[in-house]
Amino acid sequence: MEQPRVGTDIQFAICGSAGDGTIAAGDIMKRAAALMGFKVIAFDIYPPEIRGFGKCISRIRISDAQTYSLKRHSDVLISLNDAHAIPHVGEVRDFGAVLFEDNSIAELPEGGHISAHIRAAQVPYGFGIREISEKATGLARSRNIAALGYAAGLFNMPPGIFHQIIAEKFAKKPRAVTEDNTRAFDAGVEAAARVFKLDDVSVGRPLSAASGADAVMMTGNGAIARGFLEAGIQAYFGYPITPASSIMERMAAALPREGGRFLQTEDEISAIAATLGAGYAGARAATATSGPGLALMTEMMGLGVMAEVPFVVAVSQRGGPSTGLPTKTEQSDLNLAVYGGSGDAQRIVLAPTNVEGCYRCAGMAFEIAETYQTPVVLLVDLYLSNRFETVIPPRKNIFAPKPRKTPKMGKGEEYQRFRLTESGVSPRSIPGEAGLTHTVTGLEHDEIGHPSDRLHNEMNAKRHHKLLPATHFPGLTTQKRFGDSGKVDVGLLGWGSTFGEILETLYTAQGQDIRVAVMKVVMLSPLPVDEIAAFMDDCTHVLVPELNFEGQFANMISGATGRPVTRLTQTTGAPMLVDDILAELHRLIDSPAPPPTSSHRTAEGVRA
Amino acid sequence: MNANAFKAKDYKSDVTPIWCPGCGDYHVLMSITKAMADLNRDPKDMAVISGIGCSSRIPAYTNCYGFHGVHGRSLALASGLKVSRPDLTVLVMSGDGDGYSIGGNHFLHACRRNIDMTYIVMDNRVYGMTKGQPSPTTEPDWDSALSPGGTGLSPFQPLVIALASGANFVAREFSGDIKNTTKTIVEAVNHPGFSFVEILSPCVTFRPDERAWKGAVHRASVDETDDPARAARRILTDDGLNTGILYRGKRAPYQAHVKDEAGDAGILDARFKV
Repeated sequence: MEQPRVGTDIQFAICGSAGDGTIAAGDIMKRAAALMGFKVIAFDIYPPEIRGFGKCISRIRISDAQTYSLKRHSDVLISLNDAHAIPHVGEVRDFGAVLFEDNSIAELPEGGHISAHIRAAQVPYGFGIREISEKATGLARSRNIAALGYAAGLFNMPPGIFHQIIAEKFAKKPRAVTEDNTRAFDAGVEAAARVFKLDDVSVGRPLSAASGADAVMMTGNGAIARGFLEAGIQAYFGYPITPASSIMERMAAALPREGGRFLQTEDEISAIAATLGAGYAGARAATATSGPGLALMTEMMGLGVMAEVPFVVAVSQRGGPSTGLPTKTEQSDLNLAVYGGSGDAQRIVLAPTNVEGCYRCAGMAFEIAETYQTPVVLLVDLYLSNRFETVIPPRKNIFAPKPRKTPKMGKGEEYQRFRLTESGVSPRSIPGEAGLTHTVTGLEHDEIGHPSDRLHNEMNAKRHHKLLPATHFPGLTTQKRFGDSGKVDVGLLGWGSTFGEILETLYTAQGQDIRVAVMKVVMLSPLPVDEIAAFMDDCTHVLVPELNFEGQFANMISGATGRPVTRLTQTTGAPMLVDDILAELHRLIDSPAPPPTSSHRTAEGVRA
Repeated sequence: MNANAFKAKDYKSDVTPIWCPGCGDYHVLMSITKAMADLNRDPKDMAVISGIGCSSRIPAYTNCYGFHGVHGRSLALASGLKVSRPDLTVLVMSGDGDGYSIGGNHFLHACRRNIDMTYIVMDNRVYGMTKGQPSPTTEPDWDSALSPGGTGLSPFQPLVIALASGANFVAREFSGDIKNTTKTIVEAVNHPGFSFVEILSPCVTFRPDERAWKGAVHRASVDETDDPARAARRILTDDGLNTGILYRGKRAPYQAHVKDEAGDAGILDARFKV
């Protein structure tokens, strides 16, 4: 059975109905763990309705080493609502703990109680959650906090830190709220102290208390916003869309305060047009959207490529096509992000694989856009946008803009905005700079910028070639190999949020004596083809797991390298399961030589 | 005005316009360069933004910073440019197809937003560059090969819509009247907020009938107003050929709003702490 890989690596799953305080309890747990100095990854799932009684799950992974995804099995399940939690008992590993209400006040039908579903190998902890809450506060409302206290007590987590987080969380409410919740928490801790601890789950001490000192908990979207702000973003234009809106909310509050400009525009077309206009004027400008918005924005992506204007578009993917699955995750806008628009319109597309990557890519995106005078797409997905991770940002702002250099002209020299240079990058002036006025156009143009089809081939080559050095942009990880070096049985290629599960698969497979390596690809356009091809040459089989139906990344890789790949795709709206990737990995190892053409399988695992 | 450092020719580039001989847009080009000289702004501090169509070719014919963008999006692009660079004087140049059809929604919201820039639409009531299709302002009975028997559609009323949407300055001019057009453009640029100038600019190729505008347009017999209700009443009785400034509003132009609470970095950070 799978054992914790590092000193502390424990995953809590809290499950309840909307209104039970499931997400709130998870929130306190992850913030307390971060404050203790652990690395945290957390992801909440809740129903799409604004108000309702759907299922809520908060999963929190706490470890003392950097991890990249949630674990395939939780170590602890806390049930605040048995009907919702019963389907999740199976995700608790052997010797893992299931915490539940053993003093139900309502009559339950046969099989309605969670205790009937706990496997013999799992460790049941039934206790009177409601009773603890009522005794401590007079109300059942603090059940979530009482259960949290019980879990903290069971695993010897320091109550003081929880007290601090509870006080912070309810700081805006009347003092009694903090006091009640603190009492409920302590009562839970006390109840846990009385039980015999059977299981092997342990929360140790963080490797170094200092490691947590500068750690900041962020969501992927929060990390993007922070990266933008540290990079000195001056203008943001947006239109509301799930799951990207939280970037806009942060910008709306922060930008005007820092002398920047924020507009909520009439639609996504206007949002990106305004972003492009600000970029043309020399401002660091960005917008953010999801797939349906990006579909509307492709026209301006093309104009940005043609007019060689730097700006940044963050895209958080959700299920598609069309309005699709607004609150479910997917990676199906890759083609749109890389190719969307008319003509040959190559742009730069960066897909970070974790929250820290979101922060770093967002922080560097403007500089990359300015260096190559091109739109940059920052491609994430709902799973990455909304999940929480601890990040340790550098103490010094490393993303601050460098001063602009105005192009210098020789005497009598005519300024050519689109001069054909060796690098393909031309001297760029911005409004207000003397002697360098020019008109840019979406029409094909000559070096000055006048409409002309005379140099179409040369200009296309310029617009493509100038981007190629971006695959080695200083300080940016555009691809990276992990796992066994040299020849391997199976190599996994991953991008975006799915890379976390791919890396987790690697760690699991390495314990099973399989030669396996993985490569994450962060720059999806232009592709670091040489490195990818070299990696593929080392692999007997190449497996590309991703969350779309067609295998869009696999198609891209296969097309760019001319080598066969095996696709593993899934569109359930949920992240891919490590078990599914692992199963495919084993199937490949048992297969003979790689097929002459690529093959395609669909993962069948479903996780709500 | 004689003391000005710049003359109209300083704003003209050496690019030859693609327009047909006799096109009203030549006159508009003259008017805007004269207006720029009157405004005495350095060409490097002016941005001329456009979309697609015959009229949208204008930026390259000036010596300012120009952006000839894509169809219908000039106002959206210019809005981003102006809010991030308030130091620039921004002219947005459009036509009836570009501005009222594909760009119609951006027009409404640019009026609402009231960013300090000037929107000049050359209206010839036809798609010229694509060879003569009816536009939103085409008369319902205009009979042509591409609109046999006329469209039967009610024409778009740009001045009414601008007024209703919140534009802060509304005027109509005729391209052939360079003197008044120049003066109105200067007034429009100097007026704070979103200024809208509709210029009747004949298409001699696809709408030869519009040559008659020269004799038909007439200066409005009543003065401009700052009362939207009066302006609206006037437009209702308008024959479409009245020229002059109709409305000069008093709305404050767009400014970035900073909520008091957001002034405290600590409070803001706490709100977004996760």
